[in-house]
Amino acid sequence: MRAKGKPIQQIDNLNIDDLPNASKNIIAFAQDYKIWLFEGEMGAGKTTLIKALCEALGVVDEVSSPTFALVNEYVNREQATFYHFDFYRIEHEEEAMDIGVDEYFYSGHLCFVEWPGKIPSLIPDEFLRIFITINSDNTRKIVLEIV
Amino acid sequence: MSITILALESSCDETSAAVIRDGVLITNVIATQTVHENYGGVVPELASRAHQQNVVPVVHQALSKANIRKSELSAIAFTQGPGLLGALLVGTSFAKALALSLKKPLIAVNHMQAHILAHFIEDPKPAFPFLCLTVSGGHTQLVLVEDYLKMEIIGQTRDDAVGEAFDKSAKLLGLTYPGGPLIDKYAREGNPLSFSFPPSEMPGFDYSFSGIKTAILYFLRDQTKRDANFIQDNLYDICASIQHSLINMLLDKLIKAAKHYKISNIAIAGGVSANSGLRAALQNLVPAYNWQVYFPKFEYCTDNAAMIAMAAHFKYINEEFCSLEVSPEPRMKFGV
Repeated sequence: MRAKGKPIQQIDNLNIDDLPNASKNIIAFAQDYKIWLFEGEMGAGKTTLIKALCEALGVVDEVSSPTFALVNEYVNREQATFYHFDFYRIEHEEEAMDIGVDEYFYSGHLCFVEWPGKIPSLIPDEFLRIFITINSDNTRKIVLEIV
Repeated sequence: MSITILALESSCDETSAAVIRDGVLITNVIATQTVHENYGGVVPELASRAHQQNVVPVVHQALSKANIRKSELSAIAFTQGPGLLGALLVGTSFAKALALSLKKPLIAVNHMQAHILAHFIEDPKPAFPFLCLTVSGGHTQLVLVEDYLKMEIIGQTRDDAVGEAFDKSAKLLGLTYPGGPLIDKYAREGNPLSFSFPPSEMPGFDYSFSGIKTAILYFLRDQTKRDANFIQDNLYDICASIQHSLINMLLDKLIKAAKHYKISNIAIAGGVSANSGLRAALQNLVPAYNWQVYFPKFEYCTDNAAMIAMAAHFKYINEEFCSLEVSPEPRMKFGV
């Protein structure tokens, strides 16, 4: 059962050591949503958080930045597939269409999407938004929102 | 009987075709405006669509400049990966169709292996074994090369590629994308020791470049809080310091690996090997370590089909052909 309305959760004062626990919270919060959008400025830690989430999900492949290839594909111990996108370097939404982004998004597999703002019209209607900001003491604040 | 191979490269932004005969490069055509002038077309900035539009004229030009008929070809080679799936599909499909219609063998080439084998296109050619530092926008690898097709990745990045670290640092400085070459340009005017960014410690010969990106972000945030004009007033020094830090991280592992494997032949490959700071820093190490260093010509550093053709030549001699069932592999690996 999905929660009604627009649930929001906030995790603040997060250090790198807190990532395994925070990952478990995010996975629980996400229910069965498949599209997870990661927003935050460069260096906020989007790829780092995705690495921690993949670890918590039992991913066996090396998780690295897909800035070059646009999409990386991982599997976990149960052979479930995960897609990790990074649209940072694209200039036109058509480039994302060219890699068949629709087929990935509607594949039923979990999709981690960095820089979703580059492809606003291609994002499915229902998603989990993960907003990362840097506090002045360099800890992180993560705001989760189901849309 | 001579070995004549047509090779196609379409892993990322460049569409390229090359012809090689008995290991000697005859033509290497990279899609540019000049290719299109002959056909009256325009190049859209869309990777795979551009490849679709470029592949026919590029292949045609490579063959006609080489004055070679398709029937004279011994094999067709293509980049199987790593790269963008949509882009790789164009070269793969085209090569397969050509091989099928001409009834010629097909050779699948790993783009990263080809970057290293670009060293064998022209003299001076490195002697085996050698260590190759392959650095580009998508990759950072230390490779132990024992023979043309016998090579092993001994270290690589766990997160961002070094080219990405250059480009993203440039973005933090407000420079245009891709900003790596701009950092190199401004770095020449600055003091590399003005600011220091702590290197990431990684086990073995692996690299990590995402931490330094965050360190740069914090640094710029704190400095601009004190002085809003900090970046523009110190741009050259900041660029020089970032470049110095990134190059030091690259060379630190290279030196360790060279000592560990007792190797003195050192090569660099990939787009970032065009970086003037990296070339100078590597050259500076030569007297201390008694290295023999090899820099590829600039045109063979960036993506090109000449290196795919070179790799295919060695695979042809080894009879490493593939079937028509072959598919692109966006995250293709290599090694023993």
